[in-house]
Amino acid sequence: MHFDTVKRELRGIALAIVLIALTTLLADALVHYLGIRRGTVIYLLTVLICGWQLGLLPALVAAVAGVLGSAFLFYNPNAQPSELLDLALFLIVALVTSHLANSMKQTTELARKREREMSGLYAFSRQLAAAPSAAEIYRAIEDHLATHAQRKVALFVPGAADSSKEAGKEADQGGDTAVPERVRAAITEVQGGKSIEANVTDDTGNVWHVRRVSQRTPDFGVIAIDLGRVPANEAADVHQRVNDMLSDAADTLERLDVAHALDQAKMRSETELLREALIGSVSHELRTPLASILGAATVLSQSPAVANDERLTSLSGVVRDEAERLNNDIQNLLDATRISREQIKPRMEWIEPSDIVNSALERRRRRLNGHQVRLDLDSNLPFIYVDPVLIEQAFAQVVDNAAKYSPSGSTITVAAKRNGQGLVLSVADTGVGLTDEESAQIGERFFRGPRHAATTSGSGLGLWIAKAFVGANGGRIEADSAGVNRGTTIAIKLPVAPNAPQQETDPDD
Amino acid sequence: MTEPAPVVLVIDDEIQIRRFLRAGLELDGFLVQEAETGADAMRAVTLTPPDLVILDLGLPDMDGADVLERLRAWSNVPLIVLSVRSNEAEKVRLLENGADDYVVKPFGMAELLARAHAAMRRQVRATSGEPVVRAGPLSIDLAARFVTINGERVILTPKEYRLLQILAQHAGNVVTHQFLLKEIWGSPHIHDTHYLRIFVRKLRQKIEADPTQPRILLTELGIGYRLALPEPARPAVV
Repeated sequence: MHFDTVKRELRGIALAIVLIALTTLLADALVHYLGIRRGTVIYLLTVLICGWQLGLLPALVAAVAGVLGSAFLFYNPNAQPSELLDLALFLIVALVTSHLANSMKQTTELARKREREMSGLYAFSRQLAAAPSAAEIYRAIEDHLATHAQRKVALFVPGAADSSKEAGKEADQGGDTAVPERVRAAITEVQGGKSIEANVTDDTGNVWHVRRVSQRTPDFGVIAIDLGRVPANEAADVHQRVNDMLSDAADTLERLDVAHALDQAKMRSETELLREALIGSVSHELRTPLASILGAATVLSQSPAVANDERLTSLSGVVRDEAERLNNDIQNLLDATRISREQIKPRMEWIEPSDIVNSALERRRRRLNGHQVRLDLDSNLPFIYVDPVLIEQAFAQVVDNAAKYSPSGSTITVAAKRNGQGLVLSVADTGVGLTDEESAQIGERFFRGPRHAATTSGSGLGLWIAKAFVGANGGRIEADSAGVNRGTTIAIKLPVAPNAPQQETDPDD
Repeated sequence: MTEPAPVVLVIDDEIQIRRFLRAGLELDGFLVQEAETGADAMRAVTLTPPDLVILDLGLPDMDGADVLERLRAWSNVPLIVLSVRSNEAEKVRLLENGADDYVVKPFGMAELLARAHAAMRRQVRATSGEPVVRAGPLSIDLAARFVTINGERVILTPKEYRLLQILAQHAGNVVTHQFLLKEIWGSPHIHDTHYLRIFVRKLRQKIEADPTQPRILLTELGIGYRLALPEPARPAVV
């Protein structure tokens, strides 16, 4: 940079000498042909031009050369003192003029530069004001630095926390913004919060200014700007400009961030309200009449007129069973919504595994009426730490499926066993079974095998819900079948805590 | 019948529910009164003190829990709550606040009547001083602190007996974990449900024919325990 200045000055001086030489030729011609006696003023014009266009030093050289030239042309060797005074006066006027011209030029240039910067910043802040997202702001920062400051820029935005995304971001700025190793280290340091900014010189001698986009928080990323070979006094100026620009950007980012969060919260709460209302109304509007239907059916079956007629008793039984089925379907829908909203919050407690099995069987007693149920419960099973209500619901669903997909009169085997570090609650039927393909898909939301859909009704939600409930308790559901029409075994596998309470550790009397 | 028919107050804002409850309860020999709102209910209770209250939690004018609280401020009337499923915490809270039992909508009439009669019998036991509670083959003499199964004495530890005693006092109705834990082990242990699990397992080994399929000491998941009562000797109810 410094070298360039010297070169420019030298070129200016050379040009000034050439100009003075030309002026001398012109003045000589004027003296010769027009007989002008005092042509010194012509040199003044040249000095002025030099001062204006080439700078102070060339103007000085031009002034001295001009004095010499005019002395050679217009003054004879035995000149009067007044003529010498004239010459000195000329020199002074030339110097003052050239100085004035030069400083005027500098002022104008500064003003122009300011104007450019101002209009750049203005455009930048307009861009910021209109930016709908953080991504737009980052693009504006890059644009501004690239076009107005003409610097190479690399932005590292968090949220793109993995390095691959960072690499992608760099690629956006063009291949020439490869960030040197040393700069990369500084970026990591600033990102890690060790400092707010750093200046690093890379292997080629270029200075990189690395700093956070926002002084207040590292959340908005880190920017690295290649300042080139900038001398220390100019660097401060550049820093100031970068600072101004980024503080605007950071303000906008913060505003956007807050606005975004507010938006999200508002949207969430509105959706939530709508859902609550919907669930509330489904739950109430559908279940209240169901409660009446089911209740009324049980009262009817109890009245002597119905109780003494087998056909009527079975009819009221149908009403009851169907109402119960419908109620289960509604419960499934509500549960599915709860799962989608991630509102399953297990209330864990220690529980006797057989209590869960018995409760589920009791709940599905009427459903299992047509089947033989074989119970195989180990005594002295370890207590498990789960939400008993969720696991019971899942198990009841599995029992329900077994009853649904196996012929009336067939045997359903319900077992609870210790298995290594876990506990297995299983339901085995001798029903339609599963193909390999069905085994793989079972438990997916809304999945119903075509064979299943052909024979029985259902939503395909039941096992999906069971899976979610068991999953929320740290367990899993597995399906096993020897093949089509060879029965299905569904197993709920639950972990057993190593510190499960035992009889030996009784808080006894 | 020589005794006057027991009076039941049904507090529910749904007319269809009230209709089938009225039919079912009248068939069972009750004299039925109805209230649509909490305010109605408070009025009805003061005018004719009922022998039983059936309270639906979803009332238009006040929370069912508030009705329960106001009622319990001056009356010990047996009270059954009609609740919706999947809110165990609420059921527990209502039971702790003095509800005798609950049924979950939708429910069969038989289930409601069994709970109601159990709650009313407790009241009768408390006033008549009848000391023996029977649950299937199990007999608990609360006065003599003597427990037999099929006529044979069962030896229980003091805490096992205390557990059975509390359940017997509420025979047929659910008793919450918290209540049992507080009564047997004291307030600091109301969350130590595993104490109960261990004791109930031991107790079942002593009183149940098959401890893995209990018929006497039943579990209400997420709520507590219930001592099963034999089905009442009246026309079979579905």
